[in-house]
Amino acid sequence: MVVAMLLLVLILLLAVGAYRLLAGYPRPPLVLHALTAREYATVRAAALASYPPGGAIAPSGLEAGIPAHVDRFVAAQQPATRLLMRLLFVLVEHASLVFPAPGRGGFRRFSALDEAQQVAYLRGWQRSALLPRRLVFVSLRAILTMGYFGDPGVLRALGLAPRRVATPVCEADLLWPPVGRPRAAIRHRAEDVRPFPPAVPLGVEGPLHPDYEERTA
Amino acid sequence: MSGVVRVFAEYDRDVHESCDVLVVGSGPAGAVVAHEAAAAGKDVVLIEEGPPFTPDDFVLDGSLSMARTMREGGLRTTRGGFFMPTMQAIALGGGSLVNSAICVRSPDFTLDAWCEQYRLRRTTRADLDPHYQAIEDFLGITPTPDDVQGPRNLLFRDGCTKLGFSSEPIARNVRGCVGSGECFTGCRTRAKQSVDISYVPAAVKNGARVLTSVQVQQVLTSGRRALGVVGQVVRPYTGEASFKVRVDAKVVVLAAGCMATPVLLQKSGDLANASGQVGENLQFHPGVALMGVFPDRTHPQFGATQGYQSLHFLRQGFKLETLWAPPGVLAVRLPGFGFDLKQNLARFPYSAIWDAISSCNRSLGRVRARRGTMDPALTYSVHPDDVKIMGEAMWVLAQIFFAAGATSVLPGVHRMPDEMFSLAEAEVLRKPDLRASDLTCGGNHVFSTTRMHGDAQQGVVDEMGRCHDTENLYVVDTGILPRSPSVNPMLTAMALAHRSAGEITHRA
Repeated sequence: MVVAMLLLVLILLLAVGAYRLLAGYPRPPLVLHALTAREYATVRAAALASYPPGGAIAPSGLEAGIPAHVDRFVAAQQPATRLLMRLLFVLVEHASLVFPAPGRGGFRRFSALDEAQQVAYLRGWQRSALLPRRLVFVSLRAILTMGYFGDPGVLRALGLAPRRVATPVCEADLLWPPVGRPRAAIRHRAEDVRPFPPAVPLGVEGPLHPDYEERTA
Repeated sequence: MSGVVRVFAEYDRDVHESCDVLVVGSGPAGAVVAHEAAAAGKDVVLIEEGPPFTPDDFVLDGSLSMARTMREGGLRTTRGGFFMPTMQAIALGGGSLVNSAICVRSPDFTLDAWCEQYRLRRTTRADLDPHYQAIEDFLGITPTPDDVQGPRNLLFRDGCTKLGFSSEPIARNVRGCVGSGECFTGCRTRAKQSVDISYVPAAVKNGARVLTSVQVQQVLTSGRRALGVVGQVVRPYTGEASFKVRVDAKVVVLAAGCMATPVLLQKSGDLANASGQVGENLQFHPGVALMGVFPDRTHPQFGATQGYQSLHFLRQGFKLETLWAPPGVLAVRLPGFGFDLKQNLARFPYSAIWDAISSCNRSLGRVRARRGTMDPALTYSVHPDDVKIMGEAMWVLAQIFFAAGATSVLPGVHRMPDEMFSLAEAEVLRKPDLRASDLTCGGNHVFSTTRMHGDAQQGVVDEMGRCHDTENLYVVDTGILPRSPSVNPMLTAMALAHRSAGEITHRA
């Protein structure tokens, strides 16, 4: 009888654990290259907590496309690094079991916490006396912040968007093709190489790099 | 005579070549040796694990740029006593593609200390100056002109002047800089004379063969002689391996970088390690940075990435510099969260970020090979005395900020105020109980893991970079520096490589 009870408890614990780890995550609203739906939920929640709508810079973490950027960033990593990043997301999502958020239901997984609890939970990591917790926070915020600044709108809002510059052809451009292409893809010829024109320092009024210009619908 | 360039898309079978001089690694030091040996008429093969990058391949997004151009996606860190990000490029041209082009000669007192402490006899100022000069002439190294400094660099100058600290425009390997502040993601204007557009093309013109996207995995030896190397072709960005590569050579030169060369030696049967020093003595210049906020716009994205420096405190163990990088990278250090963080980010247009790199000669670490990869395991810890020096450096930076007219300083240090509004408040930066774990550092100058030493029992290579144990195996990257060069290491590594090239050419 006791064994049966213990087994039942174990099965229940496993079921709860499996639900917490795997189930109940909404389908992401975009096609993902690397993140799973669970990781997407973690990143989305952290992006909104770190960069809420409004304030000194208008775009929120979601409007700035942080989750999509993080997805591309993770996809660009080699497998070992990708694994470490996945572990980081799992840790943030489930460490509320050990470091719960304040208030009722603070043990829920991070992405299921209330917005105020998510903010308080991450602040707890940021201000922790434990160095490893602070390092986790710094790593997560670095990934999110680089995603925030990956948005041209954020850079335009701050006046930090890159400017258009001339790219003169040099002799090396006759030797190297773009990455992954054969040398037949080199588009320059010897006659394209000319002495560089005098350098004109960039100014604030200069036109933006085409990728950072504001798009009109 | 023009050499051959091979890129990933053109390998269709295993590769087996032979040459007089084989150089592993196309960073600043390796490229110098390849060029000098080819110019002297030697048959040279230069191997690089990364691909060549063209301006079309540069991305301005900081994180995606790092993922493409840096090993381990730019997320490599030290472990052990001190957690610190450190980067190593994987690209033709190595670190020169993505650094800020700073070229500084090591000071006399550093070279004198090297000679005295490491039993070196031919590494004095007089010995090295001709080699420094040769590199400076080739790359057109000149001080950064005022018209591309931008406000954030000139404010540093003004602050130093007011305090009586010496400062000067940074000499850089740059021709025709427009001050786009994009050195770290690749120079779109082709102004930076990174070695992929300077020394390597010159080597090719002199007949060198360049094999890109080849990862060297082992140095082959017979007795006390190196025979060549074996490795594999690897796909750019993913590292997926394909064809096998073998190159036989009369002389093998390792220039894979201070973190990669020890791994290669360890994976080659603990080669050249009778001294037990391969991978030991790992040193960094841990960098700390402060952000100052000014009343007027500074337009920090305009101007040379790093245009001004102060060597005033070199003897005290630190060097001061101005800094710009992709904002997402710089913002990692900023305090705050949520709306507070946004408020701090919104002050970027009114800010300047200046950094201090510290010699940290008492702080040591180790490079070890890891199973199943050529990436290193790095352990490193910071000596408490060096933490004090970093605290002092931050205090000096705060003084310069306030002297230059900053209204506040954001130090990004744990257990300290997020923002300091006066010198009196900033004095806490040099408090005696500052701990290494309070600091957010980055360490991209790395050296000494295959150090040169006059005594074969205490160093891996001699003054010419030749391994004490192996007749025809040389190391020329920053690993051979016996300890901190006190300043940015690129120019010194290139000067030493230029010197080694003479002997290498003679031996081949």
